Amino acid sequence: MGYDRAMPANRLAPLVSRESLGGSFFVLTFAHEETAREARPGQFVMIKAGTSAEPPLRRPFSILSVEPASSTFSLFVKAIGPGSRALCALEPGEVAQCLGPLGRPFTTPVPGSEPLLVAGGYGVAPFRFMADEMQREGARGLLFYGGRTAADLPLLPRLSGPALTVLPATEDGSLGTCGRVTVPLENHLDRLSGSRPKLFACGPEAMMHAVARLAERRSLPAEVSLDPWMGCGVGTCLGCVVRVQSAGDERPKLRCACTEGPVFDASRVVWPGDDCSSARRAAAACEEAPRAVSGSEAAGARG
Amino acid sequence: MRLAVELAGIRFKNPLIAASGTFGYGVEYEGLIELERLGGIVAKGLYLRPRDGAPVPRIVETPAGLLNAIGLQGIGIDAFLREVLPRMRRHDTALLVNVCGDTVDEYAEVARRCDGQPGIAGLEINISCPNVTQGGMAFGGDARMTHQVVAAVRAATRLPVIPKLSPNVSDITVFARAAEEAGADALSCINTLLGLAIDVESRRPRLGFGTGGLSGPAIRPIAVRMAWQAARAVKIPVIGVGGIASASDVLEFLIAGCPAVQIGTASFVDPGIFERVLADLSAWLEGHGLDDVNAVVGTLEYPGLGRPCPQER
Repeated sequence: MGYDRAMPANRLAPLVSRESLGGSFFVLTFAHEETAREARPGQFVMIKAGTSAEPPLRRPFSILSVEPASSTFSLFVKAIGPGSRALCALEPGEVAQCLGPLGRPFTTPVPGSEPLLVAGGYGVAPFRFMADEMQREGARGLLFYGGRTAADLPLLPRLSGPALTVLPATEDGSLGTCGRVTVPLENHLDRLSGSRPKLFACGPEAMMHAVARLAERRSLPAEVSLDPWMGCGVGTCLGCVVRVQSAGDERPKLRCACTEGPVFDASRVVWPGDDCSSARRAAAACEEAPRAVSGSEAAGARG
Repeated sequence: MRLAVELAGIRFKNPLIAASGTFGYGVEYEGLIELERLGGIVAKGLYLRPRDGAPVPRIVETPAGLLNAIGLQGIGIDAFLREVLPRMRRHDTALLVNVCGDTVDEYAEVARRCDGQPGIAGLEINISCPNVTQGGMAFGGDARMTHQVVAAVRAATRLPVIPKLSPNVSDITVFARAAEEAGADALSCINTLLGLAIDVESRRPRLGFGTGGLSGPAIRPIAVRMAWQAARAVKIPVIGVGGIASASDVLEFLIAGCPAVQIGTASFVDPGIFERVLADLSAWLEGHGLDDVNAVVGTLEYPGLGRPCPQER
């Protein structure tokens, strides 16, 4: 796998607290010792409310924060489908089935590196966690946090701190810069001279693809956290594969987003319909070139 | 409590086997669960060469079920023997290889390469995958082809040969008998049911491959019925597969005449299911005054049929 990571634990996780952030957004805090102790920003849990048969599968959720002292971790959940609605309907003391921590985390930004974090909607979750880690390390960065409207950014008040300056953007202009999150990001990059910040992105696939293209154009390093449908979280169902060009491989290979991601080097990802990335050019040799990421259509039905 | 079962010359320490395609090659679960607690593991389907499988999306949820078209992505038999088998040998559980092929010769060649390999307890023959354009269900949907594939594999190996039958046929007993006649040592019943889920907005299939195979609790009554029919039609043992998520589900298959079962989709939901179901199964047996799991196998009292004679096991 290329780096050390803790073995995930599969156990029942009681809900400790549920906090409504308005609309269909919640912060859910669960007791799960291993995740609280071992998780890193960008990692996720596979979780499902209770033990009922419906919906059949657990859902992957990126970890919002951990509290090792109380053996708890929190998730930022938008109740949009049967799985997420059931989770948000749990009462404190009720349990979820939880497997975690899972996946490859983001690289932790080092002090002085001034990373640029880019989040769309509830894709912001891992950056709250990353801010905690950056603060501990003494690193500082900017977070570009975008959504369609102000109500899509309920986590905004909790993100600013010593480690992060948050620059919101909304497509309807109700909060922050008017437009997509890449607008203030591009503006910021245009003003930079000399420094070559690293980009970290988590959000809708189209946003991450845009960030990847932008990073390629400006020759900036970038990490993206992909979000295809996952069945198992441990690399056996092969449902969440993405096409990735790894160094040393002749052509892009299918990688499980759950075990070899969800965080990938953006320049290695073969994006659906992308003809310009270096990874895609290498992929042209493949006889079969299915779309790399399944997230977009599935997104409406998942959760 | 005696939980061990023996079939096709293979000893399983309990009747719970991880189904092919839902448990990787086994090594993925090292450290997460105790592989030694499983009766057996059927590794994911292997062809001669590595395969990329089907385009994404590959899985969608359906009511009480999972529709998938992975398309038998895999590392190929040689990489499995070289890289995975030595690791799996360390675990005291019966390991079966699920053998795939685009042609009869390919099935036989994969089987031949497994022959004599320490650590492989038997071969499951995949003639029922609905998600490939060649081989797979094409062999399992034609009784003569079923016979041909099973006979070719039989001739290529001394290992126990266990064809996995397709439910996408009108009469599974025809295929069960064809496989038995061709020299099968046991049968696995059933593979997934062919399904189609449509995104009504885009009016396209929700799976990249188009159709897919349905698994999960939704298919259990069909699986129990077909495993029961197959078990009545042949003398060789039938391993029950399809929608098992609890000890009670396991017992349905045992009572229907299956000495062992496979758990698939439910292990995606909870990798700890084997331990939980085994504990519940033991408790059920104990609660019914039984000290041997084999005592419930084939005890179905079906109206008008009485109790079938226990099969040779």
